[in-house]
Amino acid sequence: MSGGHGAHVDNAIWMRAVMMGGILLTIGVLLFATLGVFMANEKHHVWEELEDDYHHMEVQFALDSSDEGANISEHEADELYHLHHEEIAAHLSYLTYRVAGVTALLMAITYAAFIGLGGFLNASKPNAEHGDGHDDGHDEHHGSASPIIFAFGIMLFLAGFPDFAIACKAMLNADVSADLGMLSISMIGLLTIVIAIANWWFEDLPFNGHGEQIATSYPFEGEHIRKAGLWVFIMSEIMVFATFFSSYLRMRTEWCTKWAFDNGLENGTLIEGCVSQTQIDMFNSGVDYELIPKDLAMTASDYLRPGGAAGTGDFWTMLPGAVNTFALIISSYTIVLALKTAKNANWERSTGIMGKLMPTRKAEVRNYLIATLALGSLFIILKLVEWSHLVAEGFDIGTTQGSIFYIATGAHGLHVFVGLLVMLYLVFKSDTVGFDEENAQGVEYFGLYWHFVDLAWVVIFPAFYLY
Amino acid sequence: MGEHKLIMGKDIYFWNFIVLMFFTLFEVAAVFFEEYPGTDIPVSKSVVWAILIGVGIIKGYGIAAYFMHLKDDPRIYTRTALFPVLFVILMLWGIGLSNPAGVTELPSWCTPNWDYADTR
Repeated sequence: MSGGHGAHVDNAIWMRAVMMGGILLTIGVLLFATLGVFMANEKHHVWEELEDDYHHMEVQFALDSSDEGANISEHEADELYHLHHEEIAAHLSYLTYRVAGVTALLMAITYAAFIGLGGFLNASKPNAEHGDGHDDGHDEHHGSASPIIFAFGIMLFLAGFPDFAIACKAMLNADVSADLGMLSISMIGLLTIVIAIANWWFEDLPFNGHGEQIATSYPFEGEHIRKAGLWVFIMSEIMVFATFFSSYLRMRTEWCTKWAFDNGLENGTLIEGCVSQTQIDMFNSGVDYELIPKDLAMTASDYLRPGGAAGTGDFWTMLPGAVNTFALIISSYTIVLALKTAKNANWERSTGIMGKLMPTRKAEVRNYLIATLALGSLFIILKLVEWSHLVAEGFDIGTTQGSIFYIATGAHGLHVFVGLLVMLYLVFKSDTVGFDEENAQGVEYFGLYWHFVDLAWVVIFPAFYLY
Repeated sequence: MGEHKLIMGKDIYFWNFIVLMFFTLFEVAAVFFEEYPGTDIPVSKSVVWAILIGVGIIKGYGIAAYFMHLKDDPRIYTRTALFPVLFVILMLWGIGLSNPAGVTELPSWCTPNWDYADTR
């Protein structure tokens, strides 16, 4: 295959693909061994010790009080309380390392499989047989079945999805009554999706990128078709996320949150199912707030933000969400830098450490893309760590608050993950043929998608984490 | 592209990045502090709302206008991006801010005979 620079990379492509897959897998295994095994085992040991201490102390205090015929003293209760909190903190600490390690390994395996399969397929055919003839300057559309196959795969996957998790759980418990038919449909759907993506890459994502098709009719006349298509796609994505947000807002206005309850008490406003006249009277007569009976709805932010109703929020619970916000913004900037570098025909090597890290334009584009990939991966790891903490604290998908939170943030996380897989392709291309001012459209169009993902987080983060 | 306009030797992307980082920090700090720093005055819900919405608009504009190049690209892209706004407003108003009892109090012609609607 000849790339944008006319370099012959037929053999180099799949060898680089295997090498990159190997590097990614090695990083994943190292992270898993360090975080998921070594550190997690250490933390697990501490957690077990504290748990034993707590139960031992609990039993001891119970025996003491039965001997003396009295309840445990205030000092003993305090001691027990503190030990219990230390035990919970140790459990969460263990979960942090374990989940981070396992997620890093699973992501590395997916990356390695994706880059290995894609690279191998891309290199397995001579250049002349690659689908759309962009290399030859033919601009006409060749037609591809891949998007239809892809959509069909998604349909099959979703058809079986409702029973997917149930069937997986049943299989783990060797339950033969599981609805394996629906599981099979989902698995066939997943396989179809993989085949469609591989085929799409194979025939429709050439390394060259020249011969960008131009729209010839209103309203995008004169514009690049792929760019216009991507904006229409983003338009549809805005509506998808708007449905999540409006559903959340709709339910949120009905929930008896701490804010709604406090507001009703302070202003003396009756709220059906939340604030009654008795509660207002108790508040006005000076009854301690903690003693007023209330049935509050706990949102994710109640667990995460300091001052939240669950009482579990502090600096550390806010940290993953805040770091993720910064990670997405920095990754938006690094992809802009990758595009800027690729389009800069008068590129000059920087001085100092940046010049050593990025000695050529090709290396600079690649390294900015790798930085974007690393930040996106960090986002997924922190997201799952945060979810594991929330589930451990009792905030699971079984409530309406949990359902909308996990669906909305999960859909966003899925968008990030899909973006990371596409980014792998960009990293791979930047490493083999490279991007320049002639073929940087891929970075530009992917950048639009990535910025949209950042934009969606700008809404999700305050709505679900801070409010 | 915005990199041609330099402000203090740096392009617009750099400054946009700085603004986004600053406002994110501001947004997190606004929620982190339950009281105004150095005082006993609690930060009210409406102030938090105002900050979150205001910062969201600024950050959204920064990302869309500069990182997504809508400011320099042909207007058709901005129009495409704004097209769903009508639906978004309709959804926020019609669903998000509808009467909390909306599901059970919808007119009969748009409530099928669900068990859900009867028992809720």
